[in-house]
Amino acid sequence: MSKILELENITKRYPGVLALDDVSISFEAGEIHALMGENGAGKSTLIKSVAGAIDIDNGKIIIGDKEFEHITPSDSLHSGVAVIYQEFNLIPSMSVAENIFMGEKIGGKFVADFKKMHKQAADIFAQFDVDIDTHAMVESLSTAQMQIVEIAKALSKNVKILFMDEPSATLSMTEVKYMFEIIRRLKASGVAVIYVSHRIDEVFEVCDRVSVMRDGRYIATKDVAKTTRKELVSLMVGRELVESYPARTPPKEQVVLEVQGLTGNGVSDISFQLKKGEILGLGGLVGCGRTELAKLIYGAAALESGQIFVDGTPVQIKSPYEAIKLGIGLIPEDRKREGVFVDYPLDWNVVIMCLRRIAKHGVVNQKEVNATSDKYISELQIATPSVKQIVKNLSGGNQQKVVLARVLAAQTKIIIFDEPTRGIDVGAKQEIYRLMNALTNEDISIIMISSEMEELLGMSDRIIVLHEGTQAGELIKKDFSQIAVLELASAAK
Amino acid sequence: MEKKSFNIFRVLSNNMAWVILTLIVIFFGIFSNNFFSIRNLLNILSQNAYLLVAATGLTFLMMSGEMDLSVGYTMSLVGVVGAGLMVSAGLPFWLCMIIMIALAIFISILNTFLAIHLKLQILVITIAMMTVLQGLSYIISKSKTITGFPIGFKFIGQGLVFNVFPISIVIMFIVFFIMSFVLNKTYYGRYVYALGGNKESARLAGINIKKMRYSIAVIVGFFVGLADIMLISRLGSTQSVIGPGTEFSIITGIFLGGVSIRGGEGKLSGVFAGILCIALLSNGMQLANINIYYQYVVRGIIMISAIGFDVFQLNRRNALKKIKKA
Ligand SMILES: Nc1ncnc2c1ncn2[C@@H]1O[C@H](COP(=O)(O)OP(=O)(O)OP(=O)(O)O)[C@@H](O)[C@H]1O
Ligand SMILES: [Mg+2]
Repeated sequence: MSKILELENITKRYPGVLALDDVSISFEAGEIHALMGENGAGKSTLIKSVAGAIDIDNGKIIIGDKEFEHITPSDSLHSGVAVIYQEFNLIPSMSVAENIFMGEKIGGKFVADFKKMHKQAADIFAQFDVDIDTHAMVESLSTAQMQIVEIAKALSKNVKILFMDEPSATLSMTEVKYMFEIIRRLKASGVAVIYVSHRIDEVFEVCDRVSVMRDGRYIATKDVAKTTRKELVSLMVGRELVESYPARTPPKEQVVLEVQGLTGNGVSDISFQLKKGEILGLGGLVGCGRTELAKLIYGAAALESGQIFVDGTPVQIKSPYEAIKLGIGLIPEDRKREGVFVDYPLDWNVVIMCLRRIAKHGVVNQKEVNATSDKYISELQIATPSVKQIVKNLSGGNQQKVVLARVLAAQTKIIIFDEPTRGIDVGAKQEIYRLMNALTNEDISIIMISSEMEELLGMSDRIIVLHEGTQAGELIKKDFSQIAVLELASAAK
Repeated sequence: MEKKSFNIFRVLSNNMAWVILTLIVIFFGIFSNNFFSIRNLLNILSQNAYLLVAATGLTFLMMSGEMDLSVGYTMSLVGVVGAGLMVSAGLPFWLCMIIMIALAIFISILNTFLAIHLKLQILVITIAMMTVLQGLSYIISKSKTITGFPIGFKFIGQGLVFNVFPISIVIMFIVFFIMSFVLNKTYYGRYVYALGGNKESARLAGINIKKMRYSIAVIVGFFVGLADIMLISRLGSTQSVIGPGTEFSIITGIFLGGVSIRGGEGKLSGVFAGILCIALLSNGMQLANINIYYQYVVRGIIMISAIGFDVFQLNRRNALKKIKKA
């Protein structure tokens, strides 16, 4: 095999953070190479350096026979590098096809050939076996569809080196399968695929080699066939780590939340009870209406019919303001759009929902703010140089932890977690599970939406499965199994 | 595949400016005797051709997510400089025209240069630039009206092709068709949209953002300069108060035409209709002898309605998206 991309002594420093510390890795043509590491280890920064999205302080990037000390986005593109970023990079007000071919010339020298563009876009989707209208505006797509457009965008290029930064985070299981098929095909045609994911199973399923990073440093490269899950985890975390789900104490009998016949926002006729100290899992395929249901309960979307009871009392929840007052909190799924104020500091984000509590006579006490922020920084292991760091500058997983911190700090007695561990590393996942367990021991009740089957089965006391916006069924602990959930989710009874 | 359903409401709301234009035309057709005479129509078009030419340039800028408030004041300054050179210094009129366009381009590039280096929106720069330009045009013209242009220069604003079509209308249509083509069919035009949609995505797609921004500045300057030439050659005179207010009409027309205040959306054909709406309305208000102060109020309300409509459409789209997803 031949080396297609070599990184030599790459260093990138941000104020207070050494994001890449003298990293050297090489990648070969025709391999799928996993890049792993904790949140903030420097994976995305490494990718951005090769893409020319950021300027490195030191080091060399060698692509084929070309050597770069400074590389621009267009140098990188022309050398055959394509990147699927962790945060979407689409233009919402333009069509799917135009996004896919943005920056490329389909047609003449100056004049674009839109017919050809749409046809080629449709061909790429056909490979994927997905049905997305190439004329649709990107803003009208669902998150999973946007992810597919990102992948199609990368495939449309004459790609030699493909970086994928957590592409599976927003896809459903079937879509992930298709994606794997595609990257296997790319590999067969000699493309180097660099695959970032926190899901270790995926690495064992598709990757040939895996490189691990920690705190901005390169740690090791292993052949996937010759390593174990345990070894990878300890390389990433830097110590032994036992992966397990905490033992749950059974919930109390008292019902804290009950919904009857909830309809609206794309879901219909949902009824269930949530008990004190319970973790109620919501299962189903991506797009089955779980997030929409969560928004109904949280007052973020309008209820058409049905009734919500909190502690046995019927309530009207017309806005999140009212939901929070009634003690219901929501950790939203889409961190960039609904979760964090990216341009504001970490502490500002953490306390925004609990300002009333930590303010005295309307004046915010900075000491309290710091104490609250510090508490969650250590509990959730948020990697940040200070409480004042602008959230935009945190790594993706750490931004997700800020969303968690913000809602946890509000101390509501019912919390809806929508994909709580999306993009979060193995170590921190364990912390979040431990924390959820601790919360329920303090009589807080949790509704958890999760597309990770293991997590759903491991953490829930009871699971309700949705199918196309309706309630497909309920599973109690002794009936838990992957097959049972999937059968209900696809309504293949 | 999605069925292409013909939704009358959507078609109408995507072409709001044309709907409004039709209503205005019907209104005038009923209440004014000779509105539909060829002569009157040509008259209105030739009087306002310069607005559309200037709006074309500004549409490119607004499409890319920026805004320029100094257009009117640029026209004042460029006008008095050009007229001064032509009348007092006696330079040949074609040379003066080149100088005028060059000066307008220079001012526009300067705005963009400052915005890039101070990391500000062009809008903010032009708020300051407005005052500078206004001051300069008063100083240069000594607050006097300049007249006595050469015949050749006046021909642009007053001349006819085939003894029927005013030259300004011909220029307007040429500009409109060429720039529509550029915006809709060329890579360059699509990159302008991309810039307004998401600058960072555009940058990562290998588009040279800086080059794009300067080239848009050139387009804005060029068409403002050209519009200015059309205006003062038609009037046969100029003074330092000639420009201000133009930017307001242009921007309202562009919003009315469906260009989004966030950039990245809109069509030049909408802008065409939007500008005509504004032109007809002010013409109508003048004919009806409406007090100038009331006219100001009406114009402001139209602008807010145009922007409000843009926001309304955005919300409606978001609502539709929800229904589709469900
Ligand atoms: N623009 C920036 N300014 C300041 N610090 C930054 C910036 N971008 C990244 N960092 C810091 O660099 C470090 C590495 O971040 P990076 O995004 O590469 O992590 P990552 O390995 O991709 O993590 P994750 O798994 O959470 O996505 C983090 O500590 C982050 O806070
Ligand atoms: Mg990352």
